[in-house]
Amino acid sequence: MIFVTGPLFAGKQEYIMEALGWAEADFEAFAVRDVQDLAAELTAEQLPALADTLAEKKVVIATEVGGGVVPVDPAERQRREAAGRLACLLAERADTVIRVCCGLPRFLKGEEDLKGEETFKEHD
Amino acid sequence: MFTLVIGGSASGKSDYAERHVLSLGGDGPRIYIATMEPFGEEAQARIARHHAMRRDRGFETIECYRNAGAVRLPENSNVLLEDLGNLAANELFGAELPQADNGAELPQKQGSTEPPQAEKQDGTEAQDGAEQHTDDISAALSERIAAEVDSLRSQCSHLTIVTNEVFSGGKEYEGETLTYLRLLAMLNRKLAAGADLVVEVVCGLPDILKGAQTQ
Repeated sequence: MIFVTGPLFAGKQEYIMEALGWAEADFEAFAVRDVQDLAAELTAEQLPALADTLAEKKVVIATEVGGGVVPVDPAERQRREAAGRLACLLAERADTVIRVCCGLPRFLKGEEDLKGEETFKEHD
Repeated sequence: MFTLVIGGSASGKSDYAERHVLSLGGDGPRIYIATMEPFGEEAQARIARHHAMRRDRGFETIECYRNAGAVRLPENSNVLLEDLGNLAANELFGAELPQADNGAELPQKQGSTEPPQAEKQDGTEAQDGAEQHTDDISAALSERIAAEVDSLRSQCSHLTIVTNEVFSGGKEYEGETLTYLRLLAMLNRKLAAGADLVVEVVCGLPDILKGAQTQ
């Protein structure tokens, strides 16, 4: 699994689709995005199971949301916390972790050569 | 050489960018394009102090709050623009200010541009009408500002732009702020795609995202 993270509107999906030579249909079949929202209502104990399920995808994309001031609202604080923890669990399970900033990739884990992944294309 | 330096508040990005510009050398004049509007005495005093500091380092300062395309640069100049976040905010929110005229023209400019690329550039999440509208504004304005940056590039030897990493605090913002974030993100990506060197500064340390460092 390739885990792609990075700031809001950084071009994460656009980057990974181009890197893998994916069409929209490939993305829909093999990828999931905004997984920070899936973590929102879960407890810490529920997160590993979610991470396991997501890890079966070829590509998982999350947006970094933990960079601002800690929210005053407890529910918001909890959502942000869950998003961060989920990202760590996904990075553990991933073969490749890429942080995209300004549309540019930075490999935090795994091989920089993604070409082998092209076999995941739906029409192959 | 075209360089984009990105970083969060007080990350050391300005200092890095300045040292980068000094390391580029060359015979041409050093120009600093300042984008922060001097609102109030405190800001004016701070700006005056910064002017003096940069003069000591051999920079001539040009004030430019919006319409960067109108700036004329001396030949062979080595230019530092700081920062893109301010320039984008002035362009987007500056319509009511006495100096501003281009903000008010935005709707017409939108109509005259090509269809917005926002969806293609950042995913395909479902968008309601209002969100799509802010996408249009961001896309149109980012096209124009990027073209103005191109105009600056074509006039000088080296252009270094400092921009802001303000995208890691979630998306629970009021509509206008999200429009601003989209605008700045689109600009960052457009400029990064055309840059020779892209550096993210973290704790004062450069992380090279593209190209090779000169200093």
